[in-house]
Formats: sequence, C-alpha cells, structure tokens
Amino acid sequence: MTSTKLYAVIYVVLFVMATAQVLVEFAGLSYWLAFGVILALSAVKALLVAGYYQHLLFEPRSISYLLVVGLLAAVGLTLAAAYSIS
Amino acid sequence: MTHDRHTETDGGATIDDEFLEPVVVDESEMGLPPMTSVKRWLLTTNHKDVGILYLVTSLFFFVFAGILALLIRLQLWSPGEGILSAVAYNQTVSAHGLLMVFWFISPLAFGFANYVVPLQIGAKDLAFPRLNALSYWLYLFSGLLFLVSFFQGGTLDGGWTMYAPLNIATYTPNIGATTVVLALILFTIGITMSSVNFLTTIHRMRAEGMTLMRLPLFSMSILLTVWMMLFAFAALLAALLILTSDRLLGTSYFAADAGGSILWAHLFWFFGHPEVYIVFFPALGVMAEVFQTFTGRRLVGRKWFVASMVLVAVQSFMVWMHHMFLTSINLPVKTLFMATTIGISLPFDLMVFALIYTLVKGRVRFTTPFLFAFGALVLFILGGITGVFLGAVVLDYEFRGTYWVVAHFHYVMVGGATALFGAIYYWFPKITGRMYDEFLGKVHFAMYFVGFNLLYFPMFLAWETPRRVYEYDIGLTPWHRLATIGAFLLGASFLVMFYNLYRSLSVGESAPANPWEYATTAEWAVSSPPPLENFPGRPSYATGMLSFLTASGTPAVSGGGRTDGGVADAHRLDTQSAHDAHAHHDSHASPWPVVIALGAFLALLGLSALKQGAFPEGVVGMVYGGTALFGSVVLALSLVQFGRESFHTSEPDVAERWPFAGVERTKLGVWIFLASDVVLFGAFIGSYIFIRVAAGWMGWEPVPHDPVPGLVNTYLLLTSSFSVVLALVAAQKRNRTWLVATLSLTFLLGVAFLVNKGLEWVELFHEGVTFSSGVQASTFYLTTGLHAVHVILGLLILGFLIARAVGGAYLDDERPVEYFGLYWHFVDIVWLFLFPLFYIL
Repeated sequence: MTSTKLYAVIYVVLFVMATAQVLVEFAGLSYWLAFGVILALSAVKALLVAGYYQHLLFEPRSISYLLVVGLLAAVGLTLAAAYSIS
Repeated sequence: MTHDRHTETDGGATIDDEFLEPVVVDESEMGLPPMTSVKRWLLTTNHKDVGILYLVTSLFFFVFAGILALLIRLQLWSPGEGILSAVAYNQTVSAHGLLMVFWFISPLAFGFANYVVPLQIGAKDLAFPRLNALSYWLYLFSGLLFLVSFFQGGTLDGGWTMYAPLNIATYTPNIGATTVVLALILFTIGITMSSVNFLTTIHRMRAEGMTLMRLPLFSMSILLTVWMMLFAFAALLAALLILTSDRLLGTSYFAADAGGSILWAHLFWFFGHPEVYIVFFPALGVMAEVFQTFTGRRLVGRKWFVASMVLVAVQSFMVWMHHMFLTSINLPVKTLFMATTIGISLPFDLMVFALIYTLVKGRVRFTTPFLFAFGALVLFILGGITGVFLGAVVLDYEFRGTYWVVAHFHYVMVGGATALFGAIYYWFPKITGRMYDEFLGKVHFAMYFVGFNLLYFPMFLAWETPRRVYEYDIGLTPWHRLATIGAFLLGASFLVMFYNLYRSLSVGESAPANPWEYATTAEWAVSSPPPLENFPGRPSYATGMLSFLTASGTPAVSGGGRTDGGVADAHRLDTQSAHDAHAHHDSHASPWPVVIALGAFLALLGLSALKQGAFPEGVVGMVYGGTALFGSVVLALSLVQFGRESFHTSEPDVAERWPFAGVERTKLGVWIFLASDVVLFGAFIGSYIFIRVAAGWMGWEPVPHDPVPGLVNTYLLLTSSFSVVLALVAAQKRNRTWLVATLSLTFLLGVAFLVNKGLEWVELFHEGVTFSSGVQASTFYLTTGLHAVHVILGLLILGFLIARAVGGAYLDDERPVEYFGLYWHFVDIVWLFLFPLFYIL
C-alpha cells in the first residue's frame, strides 16, 4: 500500500535529520548558525510529523490554524518576555 | 433584511407557550433518579443538572469568600491590628481574592453557560456530557481542597497573584499554601476540559441555520470566553506546575536570582489579563441579552458589538505587561504595552455605546434582571475609566499597590458579577419553573447598588491606602468606615436574595415558558424547566425562524405561527420525541466523574505535604503518603472504569459546524486539547529560554554532557510514531494480529524511552546534579520531566488500547487508535524541540 510506503520514507527522513542535528553540532559552524540550522531541522521534522503522521495536510485547514494560534501564543509570550529583560 | 421585528433577532422567534406542555419522558428509564434524590445529583451528566450544580456551588463559595471580605472590612474599621493577626489578615486577603476570582465568578457564569448555551444553540446536551460532569466535580473538589488548606497550618498568605519569590516554600512554608497551589491545578484541569467541551459543542452542534453570526449574544460571549480560557489557562497551568515543582521537589525557578520573580509575573499575567475578560465576557453577554429582552429591541450595532468582543478576545493576550510596569522590564516594552492597553479600551467603548444606545432606542421595562444589568453597565463604565489611568505608565508609578487598584478592579470584576446576579433573576423562572418575588428583587438591587458604591467608591477617595496591609493614614479612617458600612449593606442584600429565591421555589407563581413577553432566544421556546432532552423535535432555523422538525424532517411545530392545529401538533410531537429518545437511548448518568474527582482530591491532598521530594518524618508523613497512594489507586481504577463504561451520546445529523465541518466530534476535542497543550509546553520551553536569557545565554552549558542518550531517545520516539501509524493502517485493514503487534511495539518503545531517560537521570543524580542543583538543572529536569509525564500518560492509554485490541476492538472503528496517535505524535513533536534545546544548544 502506497501510504505505508510513504510513511516509511518519512520515517527514514526523520531518522536521518535527527542524526544530522547532532552532526551539525560537531561541524564547527558558528554557534548561531548551528543554532539556526538545528532548529530549522527540528521545525521541518515537526512539520513532517504533523502533516503526514497526524495527517493535518488532509484535514480541514481550520485545524491547522487552531494549532498555529496556540503556537503563536507560546512564541509571542516567549519572545516578548525575553525581550522585556534585554 | 426585511424581516419583521420578531424574526430579525438572535435566530429566535416569538414564543407561543400554548405549545409548550412539558414533554413527558420517564427519566428513570434513562438511568436518572428523580431530582429529589441525592443520587441523581451525584450521577447526572445532563447539562441542565450540571448547570444547577455549578450555580449552587459557586454561590456557596461566594458566601464563604464574602464572609472573608467582611472580615477584611471589619479589620479596616480603624488602622492597625484588630480582630485579625497580621498572618491571618494576609491569609484572609489571599483566600478572598483567589476564591472570588476562581471559585465564584467564572463558575457562576458557567452555571448559566451549562444550562443555557445548549438550549440557545439548539443542542440536546454538550458534546461530551460525562466530561462535563467531571469538570464540575473537579471544580467542586478543587474548592474543597482549598478549604482544607485552612486546617494545614494556615492557607496561602502570599496574595491572590502569588508573586514570586513569596510563593515558594521558603517564604510561605505552610502545607496549606502548597495545597492551594494544588487546588488551583485541579481547578485548571477541570477548566481545560470544560473549554474543550464547550468549544466542541458550540462549533459542532448548532442547529441548522444557527450560523456563528446568528449566535445569541450570551452564547457568543461564552464561545469567546472558552477560546480565551483554552489558551490562558494553559499558561496558568504551566506557572502552577513549575511552582508545584519548586515547592514539592525543590527545583529553583522562582527563587532564581536572575529572572525568577519576573518569570512568574510573565506567566501569571499572560494568563491573568485574559482572565479579566474571561470573568467579564459572560457578564457582557448577559447584559446584551437582558437589555434586548427588556427594551424589546435588538441590540444596536449587533454586528459591531460581536466584532468588538472578538477584537478584545484577541487583544487580551497582548496587554499583560501593564501589570508589570513597576518591575525591571525595559522602558520600550512598557511603552508598547501602554499603547496596546489603551488600544483594548477602544472596542469596549463601542460595546458600551451599543448598550447605551439600545436603551435609548428601546422601551425599557424596569424588572429586577434589567436593573442589575443596567447597574452593571454603570459600574463597568466607572471601573473601565479608572482602569485607563492605570494603563498609563507614569500614573501607574503612583497608583500601583494602592487602593486605586483595589477600587478599580472591584468596579470591573464585581461590576461584572452584578450582571450575573441579574442573570440569576433572569433565568430563575426558566430553571425552577417558578417566578421570584419582583418587589424583593428590587429591594435586593437597591441595597446592592447603594452598598456597592458605598463600599468601593470611598476606596478611590482613600486611594493612598496601601494595598494588602491593614495600616493606613489615620486621616483616611472616615472613608474606610464608610466602606465597611457599605460592605455590610452589600452582604445583607444577599440575605434578601437568598430568602426571595428560597421562598419562591415553593410559593412562587409558576412560570410560563416565556415570562418576559419579548424574548428572542430558544431557551424561552421550551417549557420552564425544559424537558431532559430539551426540544420537542429537531430545532431548525433554516427558515430564519425557530421551528421544531420531526425525525423525518417535516415541520411539526413552528415556534412562531399560531394555528388552530397547534396544540394537537404539540401532543403528536411529544409522543414522537419520546419515541425518538427511546430509539437513541442517550445516556444521562455515570457514577465515575465524581469518583475520579474524589480520587484526584485525595491524591493531591496527600501530595501537599511533600517537600524536597520527601514526606515529613513520622505518623504525619505516613498519613499523607497513604492518602496520596490511596487517592492514586481510586483515581486509576475509576479512570479505567470511565474508559470501559458504555456511555452513548448522539450527535445531530444536521448541524451548523463552521469552521470544523468534516472533523468528527471526538477528533475535534482531541485537537482542541492539543492546542492548549501546545501552549502548556510552549510556556515551559519559554520559561527555560527566559531563564537562560536572564542568566546569560552563552554562559549556559547543557546539563547532560553527552547528546547521545538524547539522540537514542529521539530514535526511539520517532520509531514509536512510525509504529503507531502502522497500527492505524492495521486497524483500517482489520488485521488484529498486526494491530496488537504494532501497538505493543509502540508500548515497548515508549518504555525503552523512559528506561533510557531514567538511566540518564540516575547517572546525573550520582554526579550530584539533582532537582535543587540550581536553575540550570531545574529547567532540564522539569521540562523533560513534563514530557516524560506525557509519555507515561500515553503509555497508560496505550495499555488500555492494547487490552481492548486483544479482545478484537478497533477493527470496525479505528478512530480511538487514530486519536491516540494524534496525541502520541504530538508528544514526539515536543521531543523534537526538547532534544536540541536541552542536549545540543
């Protein structure tokens, strides 16, 4: 079944990206560049899991918006709080 | 729109009570004992019963916290120590605030929300009635837990805002103080379930034609309230869990020199400011509803009123730092939040004018509910204007910590409660089937309104009084005495209310379906009180007017048209609806919600004595430990029974479901819950980032020396996500062996994750890195610990699923496997961020 195959491919990609995150740490990049690359890899992995394993890509868009709102609240709190003491 | 006046309303119609003989359905056949039996109230899951339970319980806490308020006012009769010692005064002030804000105002509003919202939107009940009962019982038992705290060496005495570092065990060492924090956690869990439940209900179960814009204003206010609750209480839960960990396990977030106390303020007020509107919105909804009913006209600018409420709900999350103008946050951010604060007053101006203009345009009938709603508007205007002063940074430097603030927020919060007291009179005939005494109602209002202003207005004049202490300038004594007299007048007014309502229960005139002549919402279209399943047929607004359809979809009764055949139709309908009820067999009773709440109550009560991860020595410690253990067993067993119980509820075939059409009811519930969990974890991760920024980002080394165990755990969780996806595929293919195998594999991977994590922790402990080794270790243990708790909860659910899958479950209906997967993947996603943040960066 193609969907099982797709799930398996995604699983392999996730596995490789997790490994890559640790390798990036030892690649000798500058801290903030490595920081950006590593978190970008996390974000891509999260989107793959949410999009395919939680099949958000195939649900009404409103569910995704719902989660984006929650995410915005959390990120907004974090950024504003961190900025407030800078 | 060229409808005549009656149909151009909240999807409603004029009500013709000749149709409205109560539908006689034998409730005992539905598993519900009669209302006179105590058993009924323990078992019921019906939204109207649960609503009544909320109303009665919230009024109990109102009386309790009101007596505390009278104690405060007695103390302030003259400055200095009086009837209360300094510590007792601090406890009284703290408990009064917490109980009124959490256990009285919102629960009173949610009593009405429970009772009225399903009726207004045309639903038989909430989406998850058993969960609704559970929310109530968690609310009640959380309140009882709070009351117990008074007997554990004294309750919390750190103020209702529980500012850090006063909130940690060093400064508030009483066990009772910990109990209050745990009570708040229990309360918040109930609130979160309630938010999920109401959101799913209002978004999935509106009658045909009841679009969101047509939603009656009270239901609209509740919808926006629960949206705010969903996100705001998640932030509070994060703050409370961190505080609990500081108090019980000895982590050191809020004791941290760099940023600890500011962190609490951010988390608390990120919740706390939306909370102001969470408390106030239902009151606003009541005002709008009552104004429409007693002016006999539609709210002026209704569309703009709704738009303003939506704006405020969004803006409420962008103003929290105006509570922190006197902390060390920087000036640019203060200026920004001053601007957003002034900004949030603008939509409120529009709403106030809409309400005033409705009065001007309508023909006012001065009934008790109207007087209270009108009084609420007047008080809110005063409270709002005095709040604008506080929103200005420079003025706040002067006003903060004074009675100006106390007066301001009492005008707003108690101003809102004023409308809710009006709501008691407004819906009393609907709920009890009896009319209250109008004269006594007006006496209550007169005493209340005079008492209120006598109590709170002098506080503006004596604004230089410092808040939270009983010392003040002797020259301010006359104002404080006036306030104390006002407080007792206010308190006495409720004796009139309770007498009136109690007497009316037995001797009041019996109430028709609609006692208010002009009322536009559907609760007035059914008998008082309404039958168990609310409507004589399926409500529909498809024609622009309320009508009730039979199962086959033919109109049985129209709410509006009076025809000769009407009465006969209604009789036919009764039989029909009774017949439908038997065919569907919706459940209305479950013993487990109350048992679950009791178990949680005992477990938390037991845990309250924990300090630095250990119970006290001796018998006391054993009693507490035993209580925690016993409570946990009760909790676990009752949760399993809750899962096993066959409890059937039906979803309407035809309903308005924007914007969640195409998302099944339970799935929507799971997603909404996960959205709040996003905020919970977000607040935890945000706290870590904040503390790290405060401590200096680059000087911070990850606690684990080696990223490899974390990487291994990433592999384990990713693999378990994959296997749970395979389980879903197996269930869809109806392959039991594969289903059980893949679920079991997921379980094993989860266990392996925990074992690996456990080994890592044990090694760190051996190296001397414990919970209390400083804020760096605290953030590592607590954030990954919260994640581990999520894994453990997932494994418990998974164990339940496996046991059932072995018995052949989920082959015909794979949805539980799918929904478990949504949760499990979410836990996986969280780890995808925790891993780099705590192991690499």
